[in-house]
Amino acid sequence: MKSYVKEFFKRGMAFGGFGPIIAGIVFFAVDCSLDNFSLSGGEVLTAIIFTYLLAFVQAGASVFNQIEHWPITKSLLFHFLTFYVAYIACYLANSWIPFDHTVVLIFTAIFAVGYFVIWFTVYFIARATGKKLNKAIKAGK
Amino acid sequence: MKFNLFIGTAHEDEVTVYAKNHSRLVTEIQRLCEEDAIELIGTREYEKMQIVLSDTYCFTVEESRVYAITKSGKWQLKCRLYNLEESLPQSFVKINQSCIANIKMIHRFDTSLSGALAVRFKNGYCDYVSRRNLKTVKERLGL
Repeated sequence: MKSYVKEFFKRGMAFGGFGPIIAGIVFFAVDCSLDNFSLSGGEVLTAIIFTYLLAFVQAGASVFNQIEHWPITKSLLFHFLTFYVAYIACYLANSWIPFDHTVVLIFTAIFAVGYFVIWFTVYFIARATGKKLNKAIKAGK
Repeated sequence: MKFNLFIGTAHEDEVTVYAKNHSRLVTEIQRLCEEDAIELIGTREYEKMQIVLSDTYCFTVEESRVYAITKSGKWQLKCRLYNLEESLPQSFVKINQSCIANIKMIHRFDTSLSGALAVRFKNGYCDYVSRRNLKTVKERLGL
């Protein structure tokens, strides 16, 4: 388990820096499209910290899928919850969505649907590739 | 196929095959010759052993050290993985930055929840196919 924790932090540190870079690009795009767009120093600092943490968690969480002794549901649940907590915390801390029950609920629903649609797509494409490779291996034997 | 064998010191060791097509026998002769050309010595504590490629599941890097995972266990090598990659026969393919797999020793491919493909070897050892190396793996398997 210790190696997985180590791997989580290793991956997080390797990719965490991409969060603020992406946030910077998004802010630039918003600035180009809005006339009076400005951020205070505090808002910029919050955005940098939380987008770093978001990218850190997103990269690190991939390790959950590699813990072989965990059942599929547990891995998926941990992966989803880690992502969700990181995203909701980032959105609320940066005031990208208001702290309102209805808004949070809508955000959660959209997030869950988006997450599982992407997951199913990626998983089934990979599974199809795996089947083809297994067939090729059997044919070669 | 006719087979001629000349034992003596007059010539260097050499195998020449004349064949109408690239049959399984030709491939096997080629593989044996390629394997014979590579001499790898593995070490483990006070033991030393010549690594037999056909008995090797994969070559892997752990904590900057290169290991051969074989039927007789795990052996440390002195070479670098990229040097190995260049000299190994076609039956070996790099599956990620730190692992070169023996295709003949792959038991099956499993799909992980993250959508990554995992290679499970015949000895139960498991490693991942990186997206960067997936294309090469597919090509080597004729896909």
